[in-house]
Amino acid sequence: MSEAPLIALKGVNKTFSRGKERLEVLNELDLDIPKGSFEALMGPSGSGKTTLLNLIAGLDRPTKGSVEVGGKDIAKLGDSELSRWRSQNIGFIFQHFNLIPVLTALENVELPLLLTNLPSAERKKRATTALRVVGLEDRMGHRPNQLSGGQEQRVGIARAIVHDPTILVADEPTGELDRNSADEILGLLDKLNKDFDKTILMVTHDPAAAERASIIRKLDKGQLV
Amino acid sequence: MNLGTLAVKNISRNRLRTALTVFGVAVAILSFVLLRTVLDAWNTGAEHAAQDRLATWHKVTFVMPLPKRYFEDVRQVQGVKKATYLNWFGAKHPTRDREFFANMAVDPATFFDVYDDMVVPPAQLAAWKQDRQGAIIGSSLAKQFGWKVGDEVTLTGTIYPGDWKFRISGVYSAARRSVDQAQFLFHWDYMNESLPPGRKDQIGWIASTIEDASRGGSVGTAIDKAFDEREIQTQTMSERALNSQFIGAASAILTALDVVSIVILVIMMLILGNTIAMGVRERTREYGVLLALGFRPGHIVSFVIGESITVGLLGGVVGLGLSYPIVQQSMGRWLEENMGSWFPYFRIPATVAAGAVVIAVLLGLFAALIPAWRASKLDAVEALRRLG
Repeated sequence: MSEAPLIALKGVNKTFSRGKERLEVLNELDLDIPKGSFEALMGPSGSGKTTLLNLIAGLDRPTKGSVEVGGKDIAKLGDSELSRWRSQNIGFIFQHFNLIPVLTALENVELPLLLTNLPSAERKKRATTALRVVGLEDRMGHRPNQLSGGQEQRVGIARAIVHDPTILVADEPTGELDRNSADEILGLLDKLNKDFDKTILMVTHDPAAAERASIIRKLDKGQLV
Repeated sequence: MNLGTLAVKNISRNRLRTALTVFGVAVAILSFVLLRTVLDAWNTGAEHAAQDRLATWHKVTFVMPLPKRYFEDVRQVQGVKKATYLNWFGAKHPTRDREFFANMAVDPATFFDVYDDMVVPPAQLAAWKQDRQGAIIGSSLAKQFGWKVGDEVTLTGTIYPGDWKFRISGVYSAARRSVDQAQFLFHWDYMNESLPPGRKDQIGWIASTIEDASRGGSVGTAIDKAFDEREIQTQTMSERALNSQFIGAASAILTALDVVSIVILVIMMLILGNTIAMGVRERTREYGVLLALGFRPGHIVSFVIGESITVGLLGGVVGLGLSYPIVQQSMGRWLEENMGSWFPYFRIPATVAAGAVVIAVLLGLFAALIPAWRASKLDAVEALRRLG
């Protein structure tokens, strides 16, 4: 008997309303993602990639259907429960890095840990460890404007893994980077997947980036093709 | 780092804007402290006035005089400890006639027994009593006109016309905040002997101290009753009630000052609110990221309010810090020395100082309410979508 998928979407519909117009972004979508996989989601603009990522990450709820992660239907969680669930299970990697400019690299990485009961020294220790994993231990006192784009994204990745989540969701993580930096980031994601057993879901337009994933899924008009 | 650190660090994002906002709050707090101190100084006369001192004057108006013999009658009333009499003289400095100061003809034998909150060195007091043309002046008045003991000075009479020559015998200081330290006191006899027969032996009012401060009302009634059947009736009132009545006459001005101080704070709150709202708008995507990381709307609200309160508190502390050299040291000293009759004690009260800081914090809190409420309504997906 095969192992149950970590992420299971069943009959998911997602519809947005713009005034009187209703826009169906995802349509009766079924998807199983096993634990420890590294999957790339590709598709044209407006195909529903980011919406799908948001549903899996618990940022949004489906109009219809279920989104089970680790056996729990997260669509049924209340707002506070969903926030808590995200803070424990999901690591976000953004296209634009989204670091807080007034905080140092170490403080940015420490941010998700502020939601835990860990003492300050332990938070700092874990944030330092996360920065070491991404190779930026020597930049921990730098602010985002003192870092290159590639370094900023590595800080973003350290922030995503510092609380040891099961799943990493990355929305165009190399979209703002040059080829060399993009390769470094993809190598890092590969390492996190293989060495740290993180399940990674990456939205990308870049075929070279998608090639680094173990599975490539294509989305078009709200359906997997 | 903790959650508070983030709120506080946010104020360093746009340092010029933060500095200008802090300065704006500081100016509002400075204005508030100034106006409240004016109000407090104005009320000082009443609040700190002697409770055991009564004033008795003509029942029709204090402008009309009483016969001098009434003084002895007041002394005989049961409950009266000491009494003295005095006349408003109303003279002016011959060259600086716009600079008002109280000058009065007083009874040297009894005046400082009744007004024991005006302290004169014993040697100067003794010298004054011996010198018919002698005058005792307040320390503020001495500083204002540069007068010192031994100086011969001339005042120009208005109610009592002519040039009046005096010798400064001594300088008094105040033992109570309500004491006007800009008064000019001289011998009643010196004035009386120069008057035509029809104006002689008349006094402006009688001041008396009483045995029991709590019986001011009944002693006052007894004094007035003593003159009920006489040719001139009297009205007696405690010094505190008299000062309160005077303040009451200026209540419209005081109310206006009150309103102005509140209006300034409201305007500042709106400006601070606008600054905070701008910051919230600019940081929408960051709030989206924080929400995605698991921070809850309550956290976002506390960041916004924390930032606003920090700016308000900084402005309050800076404003209060500026108040002491500006309001208390410079302005206060000048007012005490030059307008001592109106503001005998012009200092920032501790309650006003503490109130200013509390108000600055509340200003920050209320200014942040709408921006914080809006931030709490942010949807993480919508906020992240603004990334472009």
